[in-house]
Amino acid sequence: MIAVIPVRDATAPLGANETVAEAAGHAVLIGSGTAQAADELSALRDCRLIEAGAFAPAGWATGLADLLRDQVVVLPAAPDGRDLAPRLADELDVPLLAGAIEVTEEGAALARWGSRVIDDLAVTGPFVATLLPGTRTASPAPDAPRLTELAWSPVDSADPTVVAVLPPDPRTADLAEAPRILGAGAGLTTGTAPAGAEAVAMLQAVGEMLGASVGATRVVTDAGFADYARQIGTTGVVIHPDLYIAFGISGAAQHIGGIAGTRHLVSVNTDPSCPMTTMADLGIVTDAAALLAELADRLGVKGTTDD
Amino acid sequence: MGKALVVVALRQVDPFATVDPLTGTVYAQPRGGLSTADECALEHALRMAESLDARCLACTVGPQEADEVLRTALAAGATEALRVAGEPASEGHTARLLTEAIRARYADPALLLCGDYSMDRGTGATPALLAARFGASQALGLVELTSHNGGLRAERRLDCGRRERLAIELPAVCSVEPSTVRLRRASLPGLLAAREAEIPVASPAESFVDTRIRRRARTAYRPRTRAIAAPAGAAPGQRVRALTGALTEHEPPRLVFPANAAAAASELLDYLEQRGYLP
Amino acid sequence: MTSPMSSPVRVAEGERGVASFDAVIVGAGPAGSAAAIELARAGRRVALLERGSFPGAKNVYGGVVYGRVLDELIPNWWTEAPIQRWVTRRQTMLLTPGQALTVDFRTENWGKPPYNGATTHRADFDAWLAGKAEEAGAKLLTSTLVTALRTDPGGRIVGVRTDRPDGDLDAGVVIAADGVNSFLAKQAGLYAEDQLANSTLGVKETLALPRETIEERFGVRGTDGVDIEMIGATKGIPGGGFLYTNLDSLSIGVVVDLTELGKAKVRPEELIAELKRHPSIAPLVRGGEIVEYAAHLIPEGGYHSMPTLTGNGLLIAGDAAAMCLAAGIWLEGVNFAIGSGMYAGRAAAAALAAGDTSTRGLAGYRERLASSFVLADHHKLRGAPGLLMSERVQRKYPAMLCDLVEGVFQVTNPQPKPGFRKLLLRSAKRHGVRLRDLARDAISGIRSYG
Ligand SMILES: Cc1cc2nc3c(=O)[nH]c(=O)nc-3n(C[C@H](O)[C@H](O)[C@H](O)COP(=O)(O)OP(=O)(O)OC[C@H]3O[C@@H](n4cnc5c(N)ncnc54)[C@H](O)[C@@H]3O)c2cc1C
Ligand SMILES: Cc1cc2nc3c(=O)[nH]c(=O)nc-3n(C[C@H](O)[C@H](O)[C@H](O)COP(=O)(O)OP(=O)(O)OC[C@H]3O[C@@H](n4cnc5c(N)ncnc54)[C@H](O)[C@@H]3O)c2cc1C
Ligand SMILES: Nc1ncnc2c1ncn2[C@@H]1O[C@H](COP(=O)(O)O)[C@@H](O)[C@H]1O
Repeated sequence: MIAVIPVRDATAPLGANETVAEAAGHAVLIGSGTAQAADELSALRDCRLIEAGAFAPAGWATGLADLLRDQVVVLPAAPDGRDLAPRLADELDVPLLAGAIEVTEEGAALARWGSRVIDDLAVTGPFVATLLPGTRTASPAPDAPRLTELAWSPVDSADPTVVAVLPPDPRTADLAEAPRILGAGAGLTTGTAPAGAEAVAMLQAVGEMLGASVGATRVVTDAGFADYARQIGTTGVVIHPDLYIAFGISGAAQHIGGIAGTRHLVSVNTDPSCPMTTMADLGIVTDAAALLAELADRLGVKGTTDD
Repeated sequence: MGKALVVVALRQVDPFATVDPLTGTVYAQPRGGLSTADECALEHALRMAESLDARCLACTVGPQEADEVLRTALAAGATEALRVAGEPASEGHTARLLTEAIRARYADPALLLCGDYSMDRGTGATPALLAARFGASQALGLVELTSHNGGLRAERRLDCGRRERLAIELPAVCSVEPSTVRLRRASLPGLLAAREAEIPVASPAESFVDTRIRRRARTAYRPRTRAIAAPAGAAPGQRVRALTGALTEHEPPRLVFPANAAAAASELLDYLEQRGYLP
Repeated sequence: MTSPMSSPVRVAEGERGVASFDAVIVGAGPAGSAAAIELARAGRRVALLERGSFPGAKNVYGGVVYGRVLDELIPNWWTEAPIQRWVTRRQTMLLTPGQALTVDFRTENWGKPPYNGATTHRADFDAWLAGKAEEAGAKLLTSTLVTALRTDPGGRIVGVRTDRPDGDLDAGVVIAADGVNSFLAKQAGLYAEDQLANSTLGVKETLALPRETIEERFGVRGTDGVDIEMIGATKGIPGGGFLYTNLDSLSIGVVVDLTELGKAKVRPEELIAELKRHPSIAPLVRGGEIVEYAAHLIPEGGYHSMPTLTGNGLLIAGDAAAMCLAAGIWLEGVNFAIGSGMYAGRAAAAALAAGDTSTRGLAGYRERLASSFVLADHHKLRGAPGLLMSERVQRKYPAMLCDLVEGVFQVTNPQPKPGFRKLLLRSAKRHGVRLRDLARDAISGIRSYG
């Protein structure tokens, strides 16, 4: 089995190290800045480096085919891996097993129906798979990896041109990947001013100052104060941030179900014994809206009505 | 030469399906429809067909009930519809059936639009495989898509919050994220006409079974066992401590009752400062 | 979304909608679909407009349908209707915080054709009934909100406006089956007063439980089911509670007076939570996972609060016409909606055939209703809402009766047993019930229900 890791500007995608570990340390790194990216992948044992420039799924698939023929190939199921894997499968004329939680030489276990079902498939012969990030651990390889640089001759293919890569923006970041999140609950939107949509807008502004994205409970999304894409919980997004600050959130099971992986949890609530506060690292018993207004003031947030 | 062709591939999904958490058995519910992502793809297709002065074909692979999603597309303004009869076995099979059916009746499309992920399978691989088959460029998981000098401009989400801007030449296959645009309201005459419309059906010649793949089992989701590396430490006692975190210092949770908002803000900012969240 | 307008749209002479139908029916609930079936079967061109993405998508109710009325519309309906369980056991419970007095009735007769009541999900039932209308030839247009009536310069209703682009339809007759608080009926000026004052609020949770657990806890098998109604379960707010068994879920909820709920400052969810904690209910619902929560208004005024049922080119049916028979523990709406929809459809078909759909031409509707169970039952039970929502029935009687029974069953040795009369007087006194009122309520109860 061999891992194929697409690299952009020396950054490997989410789940790259796990994918390398799944392939027992054998990998091809392709893209720009592959050598630096290899430094970050502790599970590497044996690695081919290919400097192939900007991401080009069609061209890369054609150019990689010979190197990968007759092997089980696994890619991380992050955006670039998900794009490249089908092109590789098509080029190699082998089955594609996308969205796996486990890949072996004989087949893969695929997560289906929104990760509620596992389809365990056996494959005769080689295939291409993608491995979902966060499904396994990766222990470091005992020795420094063996690195081989391979020459790359660009393939003429129909691929889009990358005009620019934009840095992370907390306003638009996928909540599932956001490292810091401020959560809006019913207690923030129904109490003293700022309330409702105004409170969520102010939370957004404060979030920008803290480099944090905004999420919400179902009460808040149902009321239309925030998009459904912002709902955290069992019927919304599952988040894994370093920091989660809950403003006026009681901590219903369906909400808690979405915040399991949080490192630092702060709860702002008038009720000292609500579930969210009892499980928090820091519980602040106070009016959420007033605290938010004060924070906006201290952090120098300008008026939030002008957008 | 006739007008150019914009195609939108729509999949009928079952948003109300329930899954038995013990066995993983999926219970289908009768009311399928379009996923939000596919609705967005449809809206983009209608807009692009307008700006390219092209025909807009909505197509799907599925059973007769899937006609409903095509009627939705016709009501909203798609100029034609095509259903490929069958139950696709995989993304590759779907792509193959669609490509063959479209090619048999139309020229290769200038632009083919898809949703980013289907609700049940959810791999987003179908669009990439369609691009491979049509020899078109692919741009997947787009949050923005506009036409630009005879080509397209798009923005796409990468991991870790980054995004990329792309310039795309036609022919192309694009898949779009949900809620980037909103599907237009079908007019009442459109809705009435779509109800009556005859939906052409393509029946693939042979049924396709990929004999290389065999399903061993379907089970409910269980996370995979995580192997954790043995902790560092020479003596067994040290290793146990490292593994359990016993005797290491922990900060206990704190509950504070600040007198006013100013005091509360100070508490919170101090906490963030100590944990390194403030610059 | 365009919000409904408060007055009809005036249509100029010669102005046409995008399509014309003999009848446009607003709302694909039980009333609308029944009307559509009748009209389509009479060979009329019918449009059935529904704002939800499918019929029943958003429709809320407790959970029991009495299907007898369907016999006429769909013979042998029980062989195909999407039924969860047949009610073969019915209980009425009087609750105080720590006591419960239950009347328990079961009969095998209700578990075989032609059946009596059944539990069913509205999303299934309404879609099925609307499907019958489509089979008969009606055109069902979903995700389409009617925003106004259209009238000609003479004030005659000639069609509707919808929220879709180019959304005007012409109609020989419009049937408003748009549910409680019907804005079409209001727009037509057929409501004498605000219907809200006569509405109660119903809230309901659906709790998922394994099929075997339900059968064990409720003592039923196969597709047999239970219907429980409760009085005294609503924290003193006038109303009642219900608990029904579906195949693998329970419907539990309360129906409460809107004004009093506002005054009591409790959230309706809290009432359900409290009900689920009651010692006699908790063991039944334990472990049930909430899969749905919903709230809806119910027209509870009964006979006295009904609007004028016909307008110039307009008929009103179902909850829109306050046809729901909701006298406390008695909650029948779907059967009355189907009944009134059916008669509205027949009256409209007759009027269309006679070429007169004016108020006069449509007068046959009220006559048909009056000679059927629909208005007969409503007339008979016209006093029931007031009685059931009264302070005495809501608070005092449950407590008094529970105490009385507790006294009768309590073993008091070595004291001698107190006599029944003494117990009655004692518990009546303790709960502030005057026997004179009790007698009077009993008589008016017998008059209403008997
Ligand atoms: C099938 C199902 C699925 C669901 N899925 C989800 C889901 O995915 N995500 C989700 O979030 N919910 C979900 N829910 C809803 C969930 O059960 C809760 O109802 C919801 O999470 C509660 O949101 P909340 O904490 O904002 O509101 P509440 O529970 O109403 O809590 C408000 C909190 O604010 C506090 N408060 C009030 N005033 C103030 C003030 N002035 N200052 C500070 N604090 C104040 C209160 O003490 C309280 O703790 C689901 C429910 C069901 C039935
Ligand atoms: C909590 C609760 C419990 C109940 N329990 C029971 C019970 O156990 N048994 C029973 O028989 N009855 C029960 N009822 C009463 C019953 O639900 C109603 O009486 C019945 O649904 C009335 O049917 P209908 O067709 O008149 O109206 P509805 O079922 O309300 O249908 C109206 C339809 O019109 C549509 N509509 C409304 N406005 C527009 C518009 N402008 N444009 C287009 N479409 C529109 C709506 O979407 C809806 O589909 C209960 C009600 C509640 C709230
Ligand atoms: N059976 C199908 N018919 C038409 N289009 C499909 C079908 N399956 C998938 N697609 C398209 O491919 C997209 C991604 O689906 P998937 O690859 O299954 O995640 C969907 O949003 C559709 O646009």
